[in-house]
Amino acid sequence: MSASTESGLPAGKTWKSKEEFLGCVILTDWILLVILFAVLLGSFHIHYMLLAGDWDFWIDFKDRRMWPTVTPIVAMCFAAASQSFFWTRFRLPIGATTVVLALLIGEWINRYDNFWGWTFFPINLVFPSALIPMGFWLDIVLMISGSWLVTALLGGLGWGLLFYPINWPVLAQYHQATEIDGVLLTLADLIGFNYVRTGTPEYIRMVERGTLRTFGKDVVPVAAFFSGFISMLVYFLWWNVGKWFSTTKYLEIEEV
Amino acid sequence: MKSLNLQSMAKCATARVVRLWILGLAVAGALTTLPAATPAAAHGERSQQAFLRMRTLNWYDVKWSKTELNVNDEMELTGKVHVFSGWPQAVARPGESFLNVGEPGPVLIRKSAFVGEVPVPRTFSMDVGKDYEYKIVLKARRQGRYHVHVQINVKDGGPIVGPGQWITIKGDMKDFTNPVTLLEGSTIDLETYGITWTYIYHFFWMAAAAAWILYWFMTKGIIVRYWQVKAGKGRELIGQSEKRIGAITLAAVLLAVLVFYAAANREFPRTLPMQAGLLTGISPIDEPRSTVAVQFKGGSYTVPGRELRIRAKVTNNGKEPIRLGEFTAAGLRFLNPEVFTTRPDFPDYLLADRGLSVSDPNPIAPGETRDLEVIVQDARFDIERLSDLAYDTDSQFGGLLFFFSPSGERQRAEIGGPVIPKFQAGATL
Ligand SMILES: [Cu+2]
Repeated sequence: MSASTESGLPAGKTWKSKEEFLGCVILTDWILLVILFAVLLGSFHIHYMLLAGDWDFWIDFKDRRMWPTVTPIVAMCFAAASQSFFWTRFRLPIGATTVVLALLIGEWINRYDNFWGWTFFPINLVFPSALIPMGFWLDIVLMISGSWLVTALLGGLGWGLLFYPINWPVLAQYHQATEIDGVLLTLADLIGFNYVRTGTPEYIRMVERGTLRTFGKDVVPVAAFFSGFISMLVYFLWWNVGKWFSTTKYLEIEEV
Repeated sequence: MKSLNLQSMAKCATARVVRLWILGLAVAGALTTLPAATPAAAHGERSQQAFLRMRTLNWYDVKWSKTELNVNDEMELTGKVHVFSGWPQAVARPGESFLNVGEPGPVLIRKSAFVGEVPVPRTFSMDVGKDYEYKIVLKARRQGRYHVHVQINVKDGGPIVGPGQWITIKGDMKDFTNPVTLLEGSTIDLETYGITWTYIYHFFWMAAAAAWILYWFMTKGIIVRYWQVKAGKGRELIGQSEKRIGAITLAAVLLAVLVFYAAANREFPRTLPMQAGLLTGISPIDEPRSTVAVQFKGGSYTVPGRELRIRAKVTNNGKEPIRLGEFTAAGLRFLNPEVFTTRPDFPDYLLADRGLSVSDPNPIAPGETRDLEVIVQDARFDIERLSDLAYDTDSQFGGLLFFFSPSGERQRAEIGGPVIPKFQAGATL
């Protein structure tokens, strides 16, 4: 790591040497990174579980319409807020990537420990949605454009459009056809049927429900574009949410 | 910007950082573990209101083909269910229902399920007042002793849990397989299918994200950047060379996305969308009309005695004399020992084999109409919390009466209605 002393830092007599001072800066950096990561992980995880919930939990909920619509929109909230924080305060192009990585680490701990470890649901029933390339996209669009407006429009649209293609490499294998007792099913449907979920009956699945039916069988692109547009709006809103909270003023002691 | 004596600083920081990471991961673990996976319904049936359990689905003839299995063995859970005519207004009607199993996680997997002759991997529709026969084929997956219930989930009504039986599974889940034949002909083991690739794909991307984050963190960190942004030198932090790195990274990411996508399409050229939809027109059990007519004439529930008294007008329209042998409600069976001389094979916690008596034990002759008083009395009524009827907003009971003829023929009649609780002096609920 390289650090610089040229930015007018408060070098007083407290520090015995420049090395000690820089060592302290680096240590604080690491502590900050760990804390930020844990905070983002915990808060995003709860947000995402509440809003994306079953769509992200189960293989047989990952359909062509509801899942690619809901998931990116919900994930965009924290990505935008985190970008606002990392970019405006530090010019770090890692806001979205950090927050989706934190979320996925949390999701994987949850799926592995709870769903598989305690309840024995196989991982192919409960793995989370992939989001990382969307994080790269959003961060690098912001970095190159340097504009949150461009990021909201272009980044938001790409965020929605990328979601299904980046999940397809894992999903495709579970959309092969099979048959049980003369009923046609995909493997995803069959996993959901085989591995009994007492509290998750089949009818709560929202498989291709909704009214966006104009474009026939091209369900995914319509859902993805719609998701991209809403993601843009969510980006505007949550960039500002991120801004409100990117401050230490709530921690300051005030005379009331 | 000059690098300064990095190794020594890194060393001093490393140990603490490692500890912090472990702490951070522990915190993260705790946070993510809080909202645990869907809880299993072990005896959840008791927590449901009594009138709901008695007046929605009346379970009968429930059988578990085995109670001891080895991992990979199959068993059948079969039975019949009567959809109560006086379905409570508080619960959505079973127009969208799902045949389910109440068990603590997928310790047995559901290989197939039928209602009547129709396979029901999907949601189906039932009609009020009708009876349906079901069959669930279960395959033992995890070793242990589990309480396994039949269950029907009703949309906007919730899960309605039927009788449960203890099932012992021996062996080891490691040996469990779930072979499935694909339409294109090959056979796979669904228990593990695709899992390794799922890990590889996900962890590849997560590693890439971690590398990207650490790259930017290791060049100038967080605090120094903050000072620079504060000093109005933010623009210098992201210059042409940084943008070039970004552009190259983005190009590589998008290329990887394309390659993975194309590879998936090449490997799985024929895929289907998920299959869903409501199955309607499932035929109820086809049997001749019951020759017994039962009219409810009133009832009472004596709170301290745990005793339900039902007055009914019974007409025998059949050719043989009949006797009342059983009353069943909410999965509980109350038997008349004068009719059931041997104890049927049924879970003990639900079987009151001496729980039913009748005011007049003489058989009802063909063509005869008689006013009967039916007395249902057993501790199980209380243990399974059917006595909570007195607390319910709609304190009506419901259930099925079974009449038997000398030739062994069984006639079924639905009964239900309001009961008046009788609180005796000094008694408490
Ligand atoms: Cu149970």
